[in-house]
Amino acid sequence: MNVLESQNVVKTFTEGRQTVDVLKGVSLSVERGEIVVLEGPSGSGKTTLLSILGCILTPSSGRVVIDGEVVDPRDDRRLPAIRKRSIGFVFQQFNLFPALTAAENVEYALNVKGVKGEVAAREAGRALEAVGLADRRHFLPRDLSGGQKQRVAIARALAGKPPVLLADEPTANLDSQVGQQVLEMFRDLAKREERALVIVTHDPKVRSVADRVVTMRDGLLAA
Amino acid sequence: MVSLARKNLLHDKLRFLITVSGVAFAVTLVFVQVGLFLGLLDNASITIEKTSADLWVTSKATPNIDFAHTFPEQYVQRVRSVPGVLRADNLIVWFMQLALPTGAQEGTLVYALEDFSAWNVPWKVTEGQLSDLRRGKYFFLDGSAVKRYGAFRVGEYREILDRRLKIIGRTDEARSFTTTPIAFMDYRLAQELNYQVLSGHTTYVVVKLAPGADVDQVKSEIRRRLPYNDVYTKAEWARRSRSYWVKSTGIGLNMYLTVFLGVLVGVVVVAQTLYTSTMEHLKEFGTVKAIGGGNGDIYRILAEQASIAAVVGFGLGAAMSYALRPAMGTLDLKLIVTPGFAGIVFAGTLVLCLVASMVSFRKVAGIDPALVFRG
Repeated sequence: MNVLESQNVVKTFTEGRQTVDVLKGVSLSVERGEIVVLEGPSGSGKTTLLSILGCILTPSSGRVVIDGEVVDPRDDRRLPAIRKRSIGFVFQQFNLFPALTAAENVEYALNVKGVKGEVAAREAGRALEAVGLADRRHFLPRDLSGGQKQRVAIARALAGKPPVLLADEPTANLDSQVGQQVLEMFRDLAKREERALVIVTHDPKVRSVADRVVTMRDGLLAA
Repeated sequence: MVSLARKNLLHDKLRFLITVSGVAFAVTLVFVQVGLFLGLLDNASITIEKTSADLWVTSKATPNIDFAHTFPEQYVQRVRSVPGVLRADNLIVWFMQLALPTGAQEGTLVYALEDFSAWNVPWKVTEGQLSDLRRGKYFFLDGSAVKRYGAFRVGEYREILDRRLKIIGRTDEARSFTTTPIAFMDYRLAQELNYQVLSGHTTYVVVKLAPGADVDQVKSEIRRRLPYNDVYTKAEWARRSRSYWVKSTGIGLNMYLTVFLGVLVGVVVVAQTLYTSTMEHLKEFGTVKAIGGGNGDIYRILAEQASIAAVVGFGLGAAMSYALRPAMGTLDLKLIVTPGFAGIVFAGTLVLCLVASMVSFRKVAGIDPALVFRG
């Protein structure tokens, strides 16, 4: 069953007097528990597609359905609620809150999603345990290695059990060995919990965890 | 609940210190400036407030208690005959020259009554018996006179209007707005000292009402019987005395200006540090949005940070102001901070810090969550 679907998505940006068609009609479906790797050269529109699938941007035209909800491009105010309920992000730069410990980073994300108090603390603890960082729960991000930071980011993305996980170059700031470990762990967790996972990457090694590899070129999915 | 606001604020301790110092500085400035102002104004009306008179009869258009004018002393009889008046006495408040042992001349503000004990004035006697004032050429002098006259002791003599009088008592807390020391003496002695002006004259009639008497009724009846005098309630007279100094000296404007500048500095410091902090945390706010937070969540973070800065800054400012009180006391300055005034300053600090945080709101509203994808 598709949990993420884009149909003929077009995204146009205006720069001065010029309009640039970044996405020219992209259709992509991802099933629950499926891992899709999105490859392509810089400027091909990967991150823009990820932003639209993640309800950070709205498409200029086309249709996006996330976990059964059709995204209305005219209703910006609805997007945070969809992100909150259905999407977990993992970023290239980890984007952890530097003032919060590993556990607090996960717990805060849960708080934003409406899970509060002891329940949030317990769930954050479980998420960190799942990524093997239970013993680092009180560490600030500055005291963690790159791989550990990315594992905290994965725990944060998984927290609240969103059906869709989106990762933007998750291995870009990690050495290849750590990157591989993180990827495998990410894949195992996504599979075990039946989350749809879309990974945008330049890194060919990421292919190893994919169920499907999709390549983008000039705003279109290559055949 | 994890407080990203608090954690972020305390994470950068130097910035937090700067923010809180800005608030504390503004709070201290407001407390000290307004506290001193209230202290000065308190001096302008403290004798009115402490005297147990319900009504004051003054000569026409007397601007404040220190600048009294005379009127015939037998008017007191007309006041005494008004229904609802329990007691009415003449009170002289008059500037006189006092000669110091050095030969220097200083002013003194004489309060003269026939029976001080009936009017609770002076209200704090530290040495001597007030009833002795009627027994001769004696007077009480307030302890605050030391600053102007030098040290004095009970039993010493001073010349007032060239008459040698003995100091038989000492009071405390009796102050005038002009800082002229206050002396207390018998009513007839004061008239005798300045015979030409005060003989057969008084400067005020103080009135105590009978229990259950209607203040307005008694007041209007006294007015009817003494059409060339003014009649005030205690509160009205105290207010009139204070407002004279506020309006005529410009201290009110000075106080408002300083308070305004203090508040402005505080708001600017808080707004500037919160704005800089917001700019430095844009990516974090972008992350908050990416994980499902809306502008409301980020506004709450900013508002919480502003509130923390307000509470800590207020606490520090209040503590500094409190610590300054003894130092002010040594300069013979009163710093009055009432709980009500402190409450107003706290509420003002909170509101102004929240207003200052609004400077960042526009920036936050425009944060593009897509910025989380930028390296």
